[in-house]
Amino acid sequence: MISQLAYVVRYVTGKDIAGRNFHVHPDDTFLVSYPKSGSTWARFLLASLVSPNETVDFRNIDRLLPSVAAQSRRQLRNMVRPRLIKSHEYFDARYQNVIYVVRDPRDVVRSQYRFFLKRGKIDEGYSMDLYVDRFLKGDLNTYGSWGENVGSWLAAQHGGRKRFLLLRYEDMLSKTADELAKVADFLGLKVSPEHLSRCVEQGSADRMRELEKKDGGTSVVAAGRRDVPFVGAAKAGGWKSGLSPEHVAKIEAAWGPLMKHLGYELASNPAETGPTVVDAIMEQPVR
Amino acid sequence: MAGKFGNAIRYLLGNDPAERNLTTYPDDTFIVSYPKSGNTWTRFLVASLIHSDEPLTFLKADQVIPSVDSMSRKFFKNMPRPRVIKSHFPFDQTYKRVIYIVRDPKDVAVSQYHYQIKRKVLQDGHPMEEFVPRFVAGETCPYGSWGENVGSWVAARRTNPDFLLLRYEDMIRQTDVELTKIARFLHIDPEPGRIRRAVEQSTADNMRKMEQKEAGKWESTKDTRKDKFFVRSAKAGEGKTALPSACIAQIEGAWGGLMQYLGYDLISGQTPTDARVVESILEPASR
Repeated sequence: MISQLAYVVRYVTGKDIAGRNFHVHPDDTFLVSYPKSGSTWARFLLASLVSPNETVDFRNIDRLLPSVAAQSRRQLRNMVRPRLIKSHEYFDARYQNVIYVVRDPRDVVRSQYRFFLKRGKIDEGYSMDLYVDRFLKGDLNTYGSWGENVGSWLAAQHGGRKRFLLLRYEDMLSKTADELAKVADFLGLKVSPEHLSRCVEQGSADRMRELEKKDGGTSVVAAGRRDVPFVGAAKAGGWKSGLSPEHVAKIEAAWGPLMKHLGYELASNPAETGPTVVDAIMEQPVR
Repeated sequence: MAGKFGNAIRYLLGNDPAERNLTTYPDDTFIVSYPKSGNTWTRFLVASLIHSDEPLTFLKADQVIPSVDSMSRKFFKNMPRPRVIKSHFPFDQTYKRVIYIVRDPKDVAVSQYHYQIKRKVLQDGHPMEEFVPRFVAGETCPYGSWGENVGSWVAARRTNPDFLLLRYEDMIRQTDVELTKIARFLHIDPEPGRIRRAVEQSTADNMRKMEQKEAGKWESTKDTRKDKFFVRSAKAGEGKTALPSACIAQIEGAWGGLMQYLGYDLISGQTPTDARVVESILEPASR
């Protein structure tokens, strides 16, 4: 009851977290991704892209590019339109303009494991076997599993209503300025190569690591263990040495086709593992 | 502001509609579909299965298998578990066990068109050529477009053993076979007599009779035109003849890939824009 009253007070004052309950405008653009797919980095890049007069850091990022999971309904309501908003939500029919950042799930699982250590959600030495299973089931957060989140957005995007830009974290690493230019296009912004380089600079992993040390008490970097930094390796393909072949095979067996569609080469051959789950459930297959 | 306090009081009393704020349990089963895809009929079939000894009414079906949109959070809290719940939402990760009913979108369009005339949203003789583009854009109901709704669920859950995908057309053709699948999914004994009684209780004729008795009280029919039935054709394939060919081409152009995946024949010769996405994201079902 107390928690309900507290919620009511927050609701009436508009201070409840936006989540899925805030009002969406047709000119909103959402930066969407599964957690630990480079969204904070993307926020830095996009915030500097649209706010050329600001120097982005962890102290102003929540104002420049707020998150539906951290900011209140009122904060979002008070933003100047057109708004640019970060979200980890799975498919939401109300989002009309979506920039979706996807990352190889074999790297996402490792990054998330580290993040869970930082936030104290798991202890050092927590079984990776267990973690991978929970990751596949999607019971580690409220955003569905990686496959559910990515799949729900990708499969729903066609039909011509929504504007949808798919970016791979891996491409953003290898050719940051090019990918950011696509974002500028999508947002209808004309930007100079100089401005793009400045954005890339503002979002560099080195700079973000420095800022994390300096602004450690704010925004996404505030919570959890200080000895585990928020900004991780910022690299692609760490799974090749950091994830066991068994775990790789499990992930690929679950989401192989979707991964291949996204250009993530499979290391195992899930097709050889026997009949797919689809065969098993659909005793009478769709014709 | 007054509206806000009204909401706050409803929330405190638990009288706010559950919608996306429903607290779900792992043993809940959701009957999900895009609107006008046979959900009410399925609810009738399932409600008759659950209470096989009592005669069924529309109002009772609303109690046995309530809708997340029309019942309050308190109602759901007080429901005996395991619960069976109706929803039209696109993918929701909190629904762990889902029976998803899909129907040929050409037929869905026709059915939705007539329902909106019954509800006085559209006038008699409203041009189908104006309705269908809005249908394809997802503007005719609050649950996303057909392709978004179906795509988000199928992509997220198709390999999950707790997801039962049924086609309305198969349910029409072989109701007992499909209802047996539902019974097994719900851990209800699919005893042939019980299945047969449920099918007989839920015939279109029987449902029309009940509609005549209850139309004034039932949520989906009260304050709608009395000269039109809610339970209408209850047939498959109506869209082929009822829709102008340009409308069929629009629907198949938008979602042809997804339609083929679900076993719906394309008749317009229009090249689907979503074919590539569907082919690569959705593992081909065994044929």
